[in-house]
Amino acid sequence: MPLKRPVITGMGVVSSLGCNVEDLTGGIESGGCATKYIDEWAGIEGLNSKVAAPLELKGERDIPRKFRRTMSPMSIFAAGAADQALESAGIGQSGMRDNPRAGCIVGHTSGSPQALHSVYSELLSSGDFGMFGSSDFFRCISHTAALNVSQYLGITGAVMATSAACASGLQAVGAGADLIRTGRQDMMLCGGTEELHQTVTGSFDILFAASCGYNDRPSMTPRPFDRDRDGLVCGEGAGMLLLEEYDHARNRGARILAEITGYHTCGNGTHISRSNPAAMKLCMEAALGEAGVEPKDIDYINAHATGTEQGDAAEAGALADIFSETHTPVSSLKGNLGHTLGASGPIELIVSLVMMENGTIYPTHNLKNVADDCRGIVHVKEKMETEIRCFLKNSFAFGGINAAIVCRRI
Amino acid sequence: MKELDIVGLTNEVFSEEFEVPAGDLSPQAHIFNDLGLDSLDVVDLIVALQKKFGVQVRNDERVREVRTLQDLYDYLGQIRDEQL
Repeated sequence: MPLKRPVITGMGVVSSLGCNVEDLTGGIESGGCATKYIDEWAGIEGLNSKVAAPLELKGERDIPRKFRRTMSPMSIFAAGAADQALESAGIGQSGMRDNPRAGCIVGHTSGSPQALHSVYSELLSSGDFGMFGSSDFFRCISHTAALNVSQYLGITGAVMATSAACASGLQAVGAGADLIRTGRQDMMLCGGTEELHQTVTGSFDILFAASCGYNDRPSMTPRPFDRDRDGLVCGEGAGMLLLEEYDHARNRGARILAEITGYHTCGNGTHISRSNPAAMKLCMEAALGEAGVEPKDIDYINAHATGTEQGDAAEAGALADIFSETHTPVSSLKGNLGHTLGASGPIELIVSLVMMENGTIYPTHNLKNVADDCRGIVHVKEKMETEIRCFLKNSFAFGGINAAIVCRRI
Repeated sequence: MKELDIVGLTNEVFSEEFEVPAGDLSPQAHIFNDLGLDSLDVVDLIVALQKKFGVQVRNDERVREVRTLQDLYDYLGQIRDEQL
């Protein structure tokens, strides 16, 4: 049976620079940086990184209480982004409801860290399971966003959750594309979501991967690929995309934003926290291979680059190995949004789709002096006008898990 | 503790936790049929009442007989006399 063609027909975001695609890209275009000093973290012993890119929760009451009661912020973000994606695709909620050929995959790092904190605080202090509500469980469970979004939208197709930390969201998109490619589903609502919590930033902090040196100058961090980078800054938000089988989209007259022509995900098999350039390279080359394109055919690379010392250098090295001869522009959006972890892949993929449509590449915010260990690739330091026919999006996660997607304009 | 405003505090739980409009909180209102709670909500209702009144009711068989707000006020009155 010939493989089908997955295309993107809808997209939506909830982010710290704007709660729709237009506001987000406007915020990036104007050089916005969402990093702030978090006052509530000031007194937390051992947490050296006091900065994050928070999002103000708005409009959650638009979600009926029946669905909202089991949602933590990460599910609310995902539901908001999902609504936008369906609206922009021109099908709305009714287009997904009760359609066994329409599914949903949402990725994130863990169950809601805010709910987990609340539940365990209560349990450890009271020792009383009788003080747990029924909705606590649905906020803590590891597929909380997928179950909440699918219930909210009445989805009866495939429902799955990908959990691979910072690669979760891109894996969700890739897995959705695979379900369409193999003919199992006609439409897949896919993306990622995350919410801020001190334990999330703390988990990077204890590994010396979180930015600690800019607590007094938050807008100067993170600094992907920069000489003075000192770690990542956690962010929050959600990005959701509607993927659709090509003929299904054409037959209903949908506007096709791009085709997903290549996807790959792989482990590095070497070290749990240390990035491996060889495995990154293998991942990107496999995605290019599936897309049937050469490095020279890629007009733009949206890097994972979070601003960590080791990860940025590894990604730059892997990219240089593949693209040193092609002069392909590379930028990272983490300087604007921080690292939204499992949401970063879909959010940044969406911004890349806008860049492709507009023929504009947004620069790497806070990249002033390219670090010696990040040379060998073409860094975008100022807004750049150029035609983008095909781009590559990377996500790399702790655990050595890599993901890469190739999209092309139709 | 006898002075507890059972009606007021119970209604607060319905307003705060379940977003029930104050005007709907009549004593004869059926918790499921009129106020829109379901079996999942009842678990959260019990936890919220335990926190609000500082009592333990989760394993009390009598709580299963509650149908209306008046039933609940009466039941909490009994609990107040027994536990507080």
